[in-house]
Amino acid sequence: MKMSWRDRFRPTGRRPMTCEEVGTWLQHYLDHELDGRRSGRLAAHLEDCKRCGLEAETYERIKHSLADTRPASPDDAITRLREFGERIARGEEPVQT
Amino acid sequence: MNRAGRRVPGRVPTSASSQALFEQHVLPEIEVMLRVARSLTRNDADAEDLVQDTLIRAFRAIDRFDGQHPRAWLLTILRNTHINRNRRRRPELLRDPDGTSRELHDIASADVADASIDAGFDAEIERALAELDEPFRRVVELVDVAGLSYAETAEVLGVPAGTVMSRLHRARGRIRDRLDRAGLAPRSH
Repeated sequence: MKMSWRDRFRPTGRRPMTCEEVGTWLQHYLDHELDGRRSGRLAAHLEDCKRCGLEAETYERIKHSLADTRPASPDDAITRLREFGERIARGEEPVQT
Repeated sequence: MNRAGRRVPGRVPTSASSQALFEQHVLPEIEVMLRVARSLTRNDADAEDLVQDTLIRAFRAIDRFDGQHPRAWLLTILRNTHINRNRRRRPELLRDPDGTSRELHDIASADVADASIDAGFDAEIERALAELDEPFRRVVELVDVAGLSYAETAEVLGVPAGTVMSRLHRARGRIRDRLDRAGLAPRSH
């Protein structure tokens, strides 16, 4: 996507990202690992650039699909481990080697 | 001490502060630990055993814990416990501390039924994940499946966060390429 003349004269920290910058930071953005300012600049670019928007959509779908493969932690395993942890805390389980 | 106040042989007396620290910082992380343990062991029973051992080690070290970043601290203990358990079970894995490179092939052939377009997309992603090389698959499993941050994943794997990012980027790129080849990546009309 071409940068508008108005964006060319904005400080780098405030103008939307370029396609190249989005390529660098998109994964961080999708993983919520990007700082607020960069995140805002990237989101502004995605609103205007169809190609990058589609790229983001693809990776987002991949992320969601992978998250859906997460096996639900069976409640009984968590309950057993929690009870075990509570017994350790109360000194009712051997913890020495 | 047992509930009657008598000392139980082999068990250590606990101070109130140890107990409070353990309950405050460790017990709330059990679910995340179990998720990560599943990713490391690929087996529910082994994962539960691994978390139990991690809880014991965490309790032994709780007085030295500074109260900062409990999840990262616990994930480091969990990872070291996993490596030690593998070494005890299979000494030949000393050169392969994660001890799972062979297990990759077991799931590479996993077949996934696809009953709809969405299921086809998901199935393609599962296949792509199974076919990734071990270091790449492991990062995707920890970030996307177990839901860890880059820093937490770096703790579990014992690698720099930059390595996590580059592996993740490449792994997702490969998954995306596979979707493209299968004609399943979203396209502009």
